Amino acid sequence: MRPSKELILSLVAIVTISGLYAATVSRIGIPAASGFLGHSLGVLGFGLMLMTETFYSLRKRAVRRPWGTMRSWLQFHIFTGIVGPFLVVLHSAWAFQGLAGVATLLTLVVVASGFVGRYIYTAVPRSADGVQMEASLLEEQVAQAKSALAQASATALTVDRRALRADERRLKTLERQLGAMRWSRRMLAVWHTVHIPLGMVLFVTAIVHAAAAMYYATLLR
Amino acid sequence: MKRGRPLGCLSGTALVAALLAVAGVAAAAAASGNGIFSPGPLNAEAGPSPHGDIRRHADLARQCDRCHPSLLSGERMGDRCLDCHVEVSEEIASERGLHRGFATPANCRACHTEHKGSTASLTRANISGFPHERSGFFLWTHPMYLDGGGFTCADCHPRSLREFQSDTCYACHFQLDPSYTVQHRATFGLECLECHDGIDTFGDTFHHDVGPFHLEGRHAEIECVFCHQGGKTLEDLRRTPTACLGCHLARDIHEGRLGSDCGECHSADGWGSARLDHGRTRFALTGLHLSVPCEACHVGRQWVGVGLTCAACHSGEDRHGGQFLQDCDACHATSGWGDLHFDHGSTRFPLTFSHATTACSACHPGGRYVGTPSTCEGCHLPEDAHGGRFGQQCGACHRPTRWSDATFDHNLARFRLTGAHTRTACTACHTSGGFAGTPMACSACHGRPSSHGSAFSGECSACHSTAAWRPASFNGPHSFPMNHGGAGGSCGRCHPSGLMEYTCYTCHNAGEMQDKHKEIGGFSSSCTRCHASGEEGDDD
Repeated sequence: MRPSKELILSLVAIVTISGLYAATVSRIGIPAASGFLGHSLGVLGFGLMLMTETFYSLRKRAVRRPWGTMRSWLQFHIFTGIVGPFLVVLHSAWAFQGLAGVATLLTLVVVASGFVGRYIYTAVPRSADGVQMEASLLEEQVAQAKSALAQASATALTVDRRALRADERRLKTLERQLGAMRWSRRMLAVWHTVHIPLGMVLFVTAIVHAAAAMYYATLLR
Repeated sequence: MKRGRPLGCLSGTALVAALLAVAGVAAAAAASGNGIFSPGPLNAEAGPSPHGDIRRHADLARQCDRCHPSLLSGERMGDRCLDCHVEVSEEIASERGLHRGFATPANCRACHTEHKGSTASLTRANISGFPHERSGFFLWTHPMYLDGGGFTCADCHPRSLREFQSDTCYACHFQLDPSYTVQHRATFGLECLECHDGIDTFGDTFHHDVGPFHLEGRHAEIECVFCHQGGKTLEDLRRTPTACLGCHLARDIHEGRLGSDCGECHSADGWGSARLDHGRTRFALTGLHLSVPCEACHVGRQWVGVGLTCAACHSGEDRHGGQFLQDCDACHATSGWGDLHFDHGSTRFPLTFSHATTACSACHPGGRYVGTPSTCEGCHLPEDAHGGRFGQQCGACHRPTRWSDATFDHNLARFRLTGAHTRTACTACHTSGGFAGTPMACSACHGRPSSHGSAFSGECSACHSTAAWRPASFNGPHSFPMNHGGAGGSCGRCHPSGLMEYTCYTCHNAGEMQDKHKEIGGFSSSCTRCHASGEEGDDD
């Protein structure tokens, strides 16, 4: 399987950020979550996570003059969904306590869940432009393949045997895809049921955490 | 278009999950005393002294509001800090100690932190950059050890940054200079910070000359505390008075009589070596006054108020018995009593000639000056060679040169000197030394010459003038014609050998006369018996 472009970019970003982080640690130690750099990591990471959750979803629901392809937005979604949580983890200064610790843990869980969702998602057949193929379309293609194969069998004397075997293989492929689509549809529904509430809980805790931090660290000085 | 989730993530399940999350967070916050918002564990090390029931910050893990006041309360976190850390509050209020000068309730967090772990330091400030001078002690003179190593906080604060043991100074400075340090401790004690603020060293490298008061003489030998009494800070030291009386007022043996500028007479070499430029006073010392001990005039070390008059010091030795109203310097100089410079000309009796060289005592016997007569007889009466016959106007004849240098104007007398009298010594006439009463008759001085016999009975001046005895100018009466034979008054023609004798034979030959008168008996040479008028036939 060829590595995805967004995964490579994410890896490059993580390696780069890790290098800078390591250099900073070697110079001034682990950046405190409440420091300027720590806060910057948290704010930037949380911003990327917000973009992860919103931009792709909005694109999917765009009905008028959609901007960019779904694949591109998915790649962006995956990139920000990896890099953002990584920054949030760095923001934690490797201390996991209280609500902030819960939020960090939820971040990791939601990211892991996202990876699972992506695996399920990639199992869904897509058109050339990346749009998920509808089951009805696939079922129609299967029916057409079966019909073509039946006609070929009826005229076995005149038909090209190699063409016949090709039709048979295509039918099997379509039937396998149809089965996979049905499976992935079911798994995707289950995944959504888990992933989205986790994401909501994550954002609730993150927002409360940020609000509490601003309250205690800023308003109560 | 996605089916079934038109609001994307905001599905019913998601909203329920969000609400549940909010409820869960709220419940956890309430249960933990908002501890779920803690960014990290609180410090668990016990402080030096408990504040109520709290010995360590970790005891407040579920009491966030103990340090984090409500937004509506109007308090700051620093206020809560100082509620417990009263020692810091006292430092801020009293302007001393570690927090003086800069700490306020608003900036506790500038140096201190929390939630960094149970054993993490509560001070996050860069200690090496701590403005130590704000604590009242500068680190300017403590950059390096003697061996070149840099100081660390623990060198002076081994137990706690808030604590300082004075013997820490002693331990190091003893190595620097043992003898001085021991002596310094014996003098000032061990509370170094009572005096030192870290700017100065007051050691070998300190030069008092950098200040306004240069140490010279004895000042360089005495202990600092002699002048810097009670000085504990640099400001105290700088406020030390630099005027002499600032330190020496209590020991001013002059009791303030000489003012405050001791340096006019004294130097830092010691009180005993006082040197006064008496010329700066109203009484400059000259002559013998220069060698007189100060106490001779300044009796009882009375340095001011001594009179400027001679009598102020010499009243007991006035040999004049108070005759003079004016001060001694009218006659005497400071070079000695005998060095007189009296101007006798200012008196009624200016001294001239012999008077100028005569000893004063000749006229002023017994040191009596006032009332000395100014007349000649006042002094010379006993030696009046005239026996008082000339009265008391010596000056009429004598000058002050010498007695013999008399210049009597005889014209003032009844006997005016003319002719040879003017060349005659006075004593020729005034034989007895007397002058008055000297007879004016010629015979009083000139005896009657024998040649005159009894011929001349009148005054000498009848024939003689004072020019000379001769020629006399006798005009008679003469019994014989004085112009006989054309004598013309030449007496010698008839009286060649004396006026009382005559001879006619000068002109009349004696032989012829005898021949001529041989017939006359009794003829003699007394021609005038017969020729009384000189005529040839007189007795005819």
